[in-house]
Amino acid sequence: MKNIQIFDPAMCCNTGVCGVEVDQSLVTFAADVEWAKQQGAQIERFNLSQQPMAFAENAIVKGLLERTGQTALPVTLVDGQLSLAGRYPTRDDLVRWAGLAATTSPAPAATPCCSGGRCC
Amino acid sequence: MKFLQKVPRHLFFTGKGGVGKTSIACASAVELADAGKKVLLVSTDPASNVGQVFGVAIGNRITEIPSVARLSALEIDPQGAAQAYRDRIVGPVRGVLPEDVVKGIEEQLSGACTTEIAAFDEFTQLLTDSALTAGFEHIVFDTAPTGHTIRLLQLPGAWSGFLEAGKGDASCLGPLAGLEKQRSQYKAAVLALADPERTRLVLVARAQSATLREAARTHQELADIGLSRQYLVINGLLPVDEGDADELAAAICAREQRALQNMSEALLSLPQDRIALKPFNLVGLASLRHLLNDAPVAAASQSVPAVPVPNASSLSRLVDDIAADGHGLVMLMGKGGVGKTTLAAAVAVALAHRGFPVHLTTSDPAAHLAQTLDGTLEHLSVSRIDPHEVTERYREHVLATKGAALDAEGRAMLEEDLRSPCTEEIAVFQSFSRIIREAGKKFVVMDTAPTGHTLLLLDATGAYHRDIVRQMGETGLHFTTPMMQLQDPKQTKVLIVTLAETTPVLEAANLQADLRRAGIEPWAWVINNSLAACAPTSPLLRERARNELREIEAVATCHAQRYALVPLLKTEPVGVQRLLDLAGHSSEKV
Repeated sequence: MKNIQIFDPAMCCNTGVCGVEVDQSLVTFAADVEWAKQQGAQIERFNLSQQPMAFAENAIVKGLLERTGQTALPVTLVDGQLSLAGRYPTRDDLVRWAGLAATTSPAPAATPCCSGGRCC
Repeated sequence: MKFLQKVPRHLFFTGKGGVGKTSIACASAVELADAGKKVLLVSTDPASNVGQVFGVAIGNRITEIPSVARLSALEIDPQGAAQAYRDRIVGPVRGVLPEDVVKGIEEQLSGACTTEIAAFDEFTQLLTDSALTAGFEHIVFDTAPTGHTIRLLQLPGAWSGFLEAGKGDASCLGPLAGLEKQRSQYKAAVLALADPERTRLVLVARAQSATLREAARTHQELADIGLSRQYLVINGLLPVDEGDADELAAAICAREQRALQNMSEALLSLPQDRIALKPFNLVGLASLRHLLNDAPVAAASQSVPAVPVPNASSLSRLVDDIAADGHGLVMLMGKGGVGKTTLAAAVAVALAHRGFPVHLTTSDPAAHLAQTLDGTLEHLSVSRIDPHEVTERYREHVLATKGAALDAEGRAMLEEDLRSPCTEEIAVFQSFSRIIREAGKKFVVMDTAPTGHTLLLLDATGAYHRDIVRQMGETGLHFTTPMMQLQDPKQTKVLIVTLAETTPVLEAANLQADLRRAGIEPWAWVINNSLAACAPTSPLLRERARNELREIEAVATCHAQRYALVPLLKTEPVGVQRLLDLAGHSSEKV
């Protein structure tokens, strides 16, 4: 089983509901992650405003932040390799990377978002 | 005092702001210390003034009070706690991650919920950290105003439940990343709170129907989360014989007695103490030691001379100036219990009476607006931002729209996140900014929630402002944000409401300083419920009236650009006519 790591932008919760406007892509993605985990996928999420050290300690993520700043986020690593930056994976992406059996998935994430929800 | 007999280790005072929690908590702590106990007095009120009462700078660490043996005190400063927390999280990556990234993290951690959670974290330590509080036989908590208190106390239960569920990264308890480590501590705090052997909760109220209704609600809410053994203190009661020679005193007495008789069954069933109104302000040790005993105080003799009525403007005259602009936002700010709701209603009624369209709205969690404005008037519409209600509506809206496409697990998780403490702040803020927009065409008059909550609300507006500026700045479009509207005195007039007493005036001055830091200059002050404006004849009321003069002078000369003095009325200002009287009824008779 491959290990999927997602480095979120700074926000206070993973669905972004605390922002002044709820971000649909975050809500959808959070649900996709939960679903994929139930299917047995190994997924970890790191939030910049909660675990900044995880960002500082990962050379790939740190390098991206230095070159492109926060717009690089979210960043997805699969087994430590850069797989996606600047938008969240879709449920299909997760299925492919984790090697899950494909299912009928609900609508994939809408427009990719990188600014995250505003924290309250 | 019943509430001071067989006191358990933790003693909590709760109640609407302005009822005298701080004074009673201080007096209780002094009495326990005088009785030979080692006592720690803790203030969690964002507008803490315990240091002021004892004349010592206290701050965020346990400080011995030199003038009282065995007494120490501690003020929990929510802003300071939040800053310490930010430093803890951001410190290690400063200089490691790019600067704008670090700034982004800091901004995320500058919100209302970080402040609240960080303050709560400190509060929890006092209930459970035996090393910190080991030497103390009693810990006396002077807590924040009611709504805030309830949330503070409700949090540990909610969080323990959340942590039990162990949903890991679904966490919307976000700002406290280290929370998981303290699971046992939070659990212990909940247990300590709900255990009557260890914790006693004292509801403090005044003999006013609105305040008692609120106390009844607080009683129920706290009983629901397990704090069922409560005591009730009625503070500042006017002695009945004062009414013998003074019409105003007689009216106040009658009103108070009626309010006490109409108290809810639930409140009547609690052990009750009554504290008489004192002819002195509760600052300094001598006054404090007199508060809890009803020994006659020499000052209240029969030969108190009449007090000159201060020459001050009426509320009606302020309304004339407000009306000159034809529209705009009028916000009444101040500590809870000073009468913001009533004065907001009076301003709204006075504007509507002059023929202007007016929208009166309140965000006070303890709003009695419907009761206060018990009548209708042309041009006047009334609404209420009920924090609980708008939060529910916001939750439902998010679930119905954003959550529509989610499967069962996804929905459950979204619901979990919507139960977070910050959801309420956001929901209230949204309703608030929607109403502000109406002020371009008519008058919008708002009362606001107690001080701490008001500042949090403004903080949320500020964050939104920065957000919009960042987004719109790139497009070059003309825009105004709610914050810019609040800062423009042409569009927004902030009226600071206070009472002519030492502590309320100081608190109002602090609030003004906070507003100024946010770039908002209060337009006027309103001194409410003034006895000096009534020319009383009762000796006790005259003593109180005389004490007011110094405070009114301070407002006039040190604090306010302009101010109005509103007299204490013989009847509660309910209904259109009485509210009009309140605005016009002033010291113009001088």
